[in-house]
Amino acid sequence: MSVLLQAVCIAELLIVLLLLVRLARGPSVADRLLALNTMSSQAAVAVLFFAAFADRSFYADVSLWLASFSYLAALIWARYLERGLL
Amino acid sequence: MRFAVVAVLSGIGLFFSLSAAVGILRMPDLYTRLQCSSKSITMGALPLLVAVAVAKGPISAYGGRALFVGLLIMLLGSATAHALSRAAYKVDVPMWRGSVADEPREGEPSE
Repeated sequence: MSVLLQAVCIAELLIVLLLLVRLARGPSVADRLLALNTMSSQAAVAVLFFAAFADRSFYADVSLWLASFSYLAALIWARYLERGLL
Repeated sequence: MRFAVVAVLSGIGLFFSLSAAVGILRMPDLYTRLQCSSKSITMGALPLLVAVAVAKGPISAYGGRALFVGLLIMLLGSATAHALSRAAYKVDVPMWRGSVADEPREGEPSE
């Protein structure tokens, strides 16, 4: 079971690397925000899988924090973008 | 039995996460990419989080947090996608040249 969770964690990190290409290349700021938002939700899942296979419950809290506050950040960025401040 | 359930859920989640990432890389404009991103949340992240809850038990330190992360992602992901698309539309991020409808600009479609 632990090996499976480890494999999923590494695969999620590879998906995050794939999204990094869009973050670097995105023609507009909104594309970069979208890539960053998707990356953060995938990273939250990856951290949770890491916590599960390494049996460190502290990292589960890190995942919870990442999931809640990254969305707050994305909403605030979208707000700035809408007001034309970005 | 439990291993099989976790394996199937992880497979579904990873497949959809990967296809969403490929879609974000290959789609022609921002709005279609946003659609791919929201799919990656509902079909990609949720099965993976349920897989953690099945593997460790829903009452454990991991399972409960996994379900709560799933709830947060489901609520906030759609709100963020909406805010981002609205902001991008207001600052005139261009649509793909093959797009066929731009209803806010043309006003309400007449019957």
